[in-house]
Amino acid sequence: MKIKLSSGFLQKMVIFGVLLLIIIVLSFLSKSFLTVTNLNNVTRQVAFVVITGCAVTPLMISGNFDLSIGSVLGLTGMLSALFVTQSIPLWFSIILSTLVGSAIGLLNGLMVIKLRIPSIIATLGTMYAARGLALVISGGNSIHMGLGKNFTLLGRGYLGGIPIIFIIMFLTIFLFYFIESKTILGRYTFAIGGNKRTALLSGINVGSIIILLYFLVGTLTGFSGTLMASRLGVGQAMVGSGFEFDVIVAVVLGGTSIEGGEGSIFGMLIGAFIVGFIANGLNLMGIHSFYQSIVKGVVLVGAVLLDQKLKGRIAD
Amino acid sequence: MEKNILEVRGLAKNYPGVAALKGIDLDIRHNTVHCIVGENGAGKSTFIKILTCAETRSSGEILFNGKEFKPRSIREAMDLGISTLFQELNVVNQLTVEENLILGREPNRYGVIQRSDPSGKVFQLMKEFASDISLKKKVAQLSFAEKQVIEIVKAIAVDASLLIMDEPTAAVSENETKRLFAIIRSLKKKNITVIYISHILDDIFTIGDVVTVFRDGEIVGTKNVTDIDRDELIRMMIGKVTVDKYVPRPVDYQKKVLEVNNLTTHKLKNVNFNLYKGEILGFYGLRGAGKTEIALALFGLDRVLSGDIRIEGKSVLFDLPRDSMLSGISMVPEERLTEGLIMKLPVRLNISITNLKVLSHLGVVRSQEDREVAKKYVDVMNIKVKHIEQKVATLSGGNQQKVVVSKYLHAGSNILMMDEPTRGVDIGAKEEIHRIIRSLAEKGKSIIVFSSEYPEIFNLCDRIYLLRDGQIVKEIKNQEADPEEILYIITRGKRTNYEN
Repeated sequence: MKIKLSSGFLQKMVIFGVLLLIIIVLSFLSKSFLTVTNLNNVTRQVAFVVITGCAVTPLMISGNFDLSIGSVLGLTGMLSALFVTQSIPLWFSIILSTLVGSAIGLLNGLMVIKLRIPSIIATLGTMYAARGLALVISGGNSIHMGLGKNFTLLGRGYLGGIPIIFIIMFLTIFLFYFIESKTILGRYTFAIGGNKRTALLSGINVGSIIILLYFLVGTLTGFSGTLMASRLGVGQAMVGSGFEFDVIVAVVLGGTSIEGGEGSIFGMLIGAFIVGFIANGLNLMGIHSFYQSIVKGVVLVGAVLLDQKLKGRIAD
Repeated sequence: MEKNILEVRGLAKNYPGVAALKGIDLDIRHNTVHCIVGENGAGKSTFIKILTCAETRSSGEILFNGKEFKPRSIREAMDLGISTLFQELNVVNQLTVEENLILGREPNRYGVIQRSDPSGKVFQLMKEFASDISLKKKVAQLSFAEKQVIEIVKAIAVDASLLIMDEPTAAVSENETKRLFAIIRSLKKKNITVIYISHILDDIFTIGDVVTVFRDGEIVGTKNVTDIDRDELIRMMIGKVTVDKYVPRPVDYQKKVLEVNNLTTHKLKNVNFNLYKGEILGFYGLRGAGKTEIALALFGLDRVLSGDIRIEGKSVLFDLPRDSMLSGISMVPEERLTEGLIMKLPVRLNISITNLKVLSHLGVVRSQEDREVAKKYVDVMNIKVKHIEQKVATLSGGNQQKVVVSKYLHAGSNILMMDEPTRGVDIGAKEEIHRIIRSLAEKGKSIIVFSSEYPEIFNLCDRIYLLRDGQIVKEIKNQEADPEEILYIITRGKRTNYEN
């Protein structure tokens, strides 16, 4: 008897299997790996990738790209600290910084759709510009004086014994899983990534949808920036360099096609943990971070290769 | 008995669900101009693609000069002696005539290009065929026909013994057509055989020696041009004219749903027409006559330069297909794979995508209703699927086309345009789609069918507009249709001027 399996499901199971394998191997290699403290640590690090990745996944499913997220994270985190030192209330400074992220996302979307600049080029532009802006505004200095006790609440605090950042992460996952699977926006995202021309001819306002997806990425990145500053307890312009690649690696490991049309929040979540666990495991084993970078690269290419092989086999 | 340069035996090509060539046998005699005619989808282009290695055959064999011909690339086909003049020319506009002529075969020493020998074969031929074209000129400044000459010269300079020409006069002025024919005549003197593909009957009677008619992937017949007259050739092309299948239907010519006045786009010139409630309207013309462009303009895809579109008397302007659909016009696009379907997605998602609003509340899709819609269309349209979650990529051509029609029915528009609604589907699916079109019209929808297949237009449509060069040249009622006259009109032919 033949078992009916959608290729998407099979692929998710494979990537999930890889995650389990990594956990098993690491728990043998290091005694301190499978401890509550360590798992908490990893999850805290992964949370930022996951929260931002929740918006980046649909963007990449639609066949678009955003390289500016690392810089935007640095800019908005720095701004949230700066605003507080200018005696703006904390809650309002979080909203303001998040909106700065939204504005940059909107700008990205408008450049890609209205000016027809390829998304990689447009967001490469904002990547440089946002980082530069953060350095200019902060003068390159860290902002850690006069932030007040509550500044670190979101990043380090607990609610009912659970780290607040976990709660935020789960809410974001839930929201975007809902968007992906139940809403018109989710459908349109897959349609646009699957075939832009067909989507247009089906009566979808393709341009507006893509702009909206960029806006969502900017907004969540802005918010992640404030969380990051809160966790670090400092506003620093250079925070988040290379963050965009962590997110993109997680999304791609999770089975999202670079050409668009396929992918899932669930896959991105697993992808983010795979990256997180590998980095963490190598740390615990005392391997220098220089090597970690090599491992990350090998894992990414290997996983995508495996994914393609699997898809090829299923297609046959 | 003359020798055959090409012998084709049992050549077949199957696409998923469709047989594009159904085992044809064909002999091409040495040193003739052998014309191939037939409607779009008759199998001519598939045949050419197999000869030039752009497609692989499913079965059958080809003998070229008595030897098995099975090239693995276009380059290998050329080296064996078969060259092709495609409709899209292969010249480099940025280079000069001379540079184009020697492109890929530049005389060089260690990669450094040397001055080419002006007495070389390619330059001799160029001088012979078109001495007026300066070798130093940039190719971008040449006309289409002059570029064609460059390609022909390049092809025969590498010792082609068989030259395939695909609709060479489709975009060429009358004078330049004369030069092309002169070239073809001198090719014959050089022992080069020509396969000449064309819709234009004048061309065949002017230049052809032998003519083969393709229809529905089969060969209807092969005749010497001297043994056949125009009327007989047209009868062979359109087959048994099944106009009798058309049943006159009552159309309410008081209720105008669409009025188009002086519509002009980059391809259309002052197009005027009306569409009535419950009517099936047809646009018929050759490829490139402007059928698709009318659909594109009404679907917000081509910019309207001037003119006026009125729906139910109200003037409308569309920027996007979405705007048209909101005003009640939908279009089943011409290309089902690249415009109609999203191959990675299942049948269900492909169907409901055009109108999720009716299946949702505050942007959240009601999944139960979503599935019911897909099931309904699978049922009504008789789409053969295992289940509605099956990917559309795995369906046959006919079933894929039914999915495309379903999704635009789900859009719920009152006016439905269908661009080549049954291209590349098997005969059963074709009849089913035609039945659906008729039942839609009976329910009061207005349908516009754009087609280059004669039987399709005349089996279906109540009224027909004939198109040529982006203009409407005639409007006819179905019962008044005279197929032979219609073919004269759309192929720019006048009954008398084909005898040279």
